Amino acid sequence: MSATVSMLIAVGIFIGTYILIITEVINKMLASLIGAFLLILTGILSQDIALRAIDWNVIFFLIGMMLVIAVLRRTGIFMYIAIKTAKLARGNPLLIMMLMFVVTAFSSAFLGSVTTIMILIPIILLICNELKITPVPYIIIMVVASNMGGAATMIGDPPNIIIGSATDYDFLDFIFNLTPAIIFASIACLALMWFMYHGKLKVSRENRAKMLSYKEEGLIKNKRMLKISLIAVAIMLVLLALESILKIGTATISMSTGLFLVLIGERKEIEHIMVHEVDWVTLFFFVGLFIIVEGLVQTGFISLLAHKVLNLTHNQARPTSMAILWLSGILSAFIDNVPFVATMIPLIKQIGTVITEPNLIDPIWWAMSLGTCLGGNGTLIGASSNVVAVGIAKKNGLNISFKEFTKVSVVYTILSLIVCSAYILLRYF
Amino acid sequence: MLLADFLDPRTIVFEQRILTREQIYRDIIERICLFHKDILSNYDDNLLRAILDREKEAPMVYPSGIAIPHIRLDGLADTLIGMTFLQTPLNYDGIKVDWIVMIFTDKTSSKIYLNIVAALLKISQDSEIMNQLRSFNNGIEVINYLRQCKIKVGQELSVADLMVKNPVCVTPDTLLSKLDSLMNEHNISCIPVVDNEGRYLGEISILDVLKVGMPDYLMMIDDVAFLRSYEPLESLFEKEELVYAEEIMQKNTRVLSSDASIVETVYHMIKDNKRYFCVVDKEYLVGIITAMDIFRKVIKA
Repeated sequence: MSATVSMLIAVGIFIGTYILIITEVINKMLASLIGAFLLILTGILSQDIALRAIDWNVIFFLIGMMLVIAVLRRTGIFMYIAIKTAKLARGNPLLIMMLMFVVTAFSSAFLGSVTTIMILIPIILLICNELKITPVPYIIIMVVASNMGGAATMIGDPPNIIIGSATDYDFLDFIFNLTPAIIFASIACLALMWFMYHGKLKVSRENRAKMLSYKEEGLIKNKRMLKISLIAVAIMLVLLALESILKIGTATISMSTGLFLVLIGERKEIEHIMVHEVDWVTLFFFVGLFIIVEGLVQTGFISLLAHKVLNLTHNQARPTSMAILWLSGILSAFIDNVPFVATMIPLIKQIGTVITEPNLIDPIWWAMSLGTCLGGNGTLIGASSNVVAVGIAKKNGLNISFKEFTKVSVVYTILSLIVCSAYILLRYF
Repeated sequence: MLLADFLDPRTIVFEQRILTREQIYRDIIERICLFHKDILSNYDDNLLRAILDREKEAPMVYPSGIAIPHIRLDGLADTLIGMTFLQTPLNYDGIKVDWIVMIFTDKTSSKIYLNIVAALLKISQDSEIMNQLRSFNNGIEVINYLRQCKIKVGQELSVADLMVKNPVCVTPDTLLSKLDSLMNEHNISCIPVVDNEGRYLGEISILDVLKVGMPDYLMMIDDVAFLRSYEPLESLFEKEELVYAEEIMQKNTRVLSSDASIVETVYHMIKDNKRYFCVVDKEYLVGIITAMDIFRKVIKA
């Protein structure tokens, strides 16, 4: 088979799979695995190369985090914080919204956006129902917060985990480079929120009193386990921060924490946790994607594309990073951001062989990370947490249409991308 | 095995007199004891008392007009049967019984006993055989006729024998308020939903009713210990006149056919963690079988 034919087949399978993923005609994990093994069957990739393309560091890191979250979730700490937050706001609807934004973003930064949304959206539905106010703006704001928070650290959102694993950047690099951008963007979003909603949400005294009667103290069932979990998570974060010196491997750090916590707190539940709380569907979706993208790399399509991009931006880092930021932002608003990042990583690595100076290639990586994660807010289908949140709302008889969601979320997306553009231009150039 | 082979013509009686349940029982016990001296001691009032006590716990009486009192004896290692056909039926809490069959069985044997009960039940539901039996006047005729009919011991009890026939059911357009009062009135936790011709469509359990008052988001929360007084549960009452059976019924749940075996029924009950199944023959609802029915009539028997 000639190189061109191989490349065309690889690109064909790639496009076919991505169309299935975007349109969700079939389950996206099924689509990605079929695409992956089709590449092996057609001889584009040998099985050996295909299996080696899977980034096991990412897969095991995620399994470890899922174990940590499963144990942490059982301590009741998430519920406690959510209820406490609403009570701290004394039932003031705008304050609840702003505090929930902060809590969601913070939780997403360290535990992942989808988990955070799955835990917090039902609670905000309960609180809004109790306060007799519409939950729709809250849901959208919290989704926006989850995607922004996820962008702030290496472990917040799968795209960042994958970037962290594929490059030499460590946990602290992500903190130093991305967290300030997200803090600025969050402040801008909170200001916008205040501007959009102040004086518009009203709550009666009676309904407020009901919500204030919640007894959150009972939610922490096992204080000892909570302490152990929080200490273990703190140690995990320290180890991740010291990773560049320790060289243990991020997957090993999260797996050790997860296994330790399960062993201490939930060893009897391990089978249930392994089957129901480790999200195998997502993990195998990623496995398939790694192989499909390897098809593009091996057949030379990625380097071809990289040269086209560099031609357009005349090998200059500044326009390249701006182009990447906004292109990532716009595209990942419509494409699930993990497949997008999986494709972009080899592309930027290829660009890195032309723009070799670290202080010039760094902003390109950070631009891609910020663009992809924040772009997830662009539309209702931009990121997993959007789909999950709207799904939960729908199950409760609350239909949030694509238009209704996007009308609000796109404003925050554009605002945060503008803040990030300014941040990148001022900090790196 | 033929049922006839378990019977002894000397312990089969046609009773013309009007007697009390106790008198009839004593009479049967005495006969069984008399003709099985080799393995039983002489008649003893304790046996009668044991049988009556057991009956108080779980009466072995069936709508087809048969009562099957029994006793399990330690080390009997046999199954002995005595029976009395009554000219004048006895009243067992509303069920008119004209055929009393008493079974003595070993403490450990259960299968043969259950099979004999099944065979007797089958006979009692067959009006042709029953009319013929009533027309006889001695045990030999009864045994010969049963042998001729090839009534076997060994066919398992089926769902049809134990189910509640013609259960309370509703149509899809029934209001929740009506459902609530039916469940309350009949003290039942499940109601089948059928169309106007009686075809099975689905079922509604008490949990489906309570769920009307529980929004989905509550079910997605890890822990609701912080909620003391929660209003949506009260909305169940507000929704009583707004929600129809159709909206809350469970479709595509497992149903059993009336010829399903008891073991199959219990198997599904345990597997599905469900205490009742609707019984459906060729799309039509014919009954409900509950775990309690099986427990009472098979296990406790």
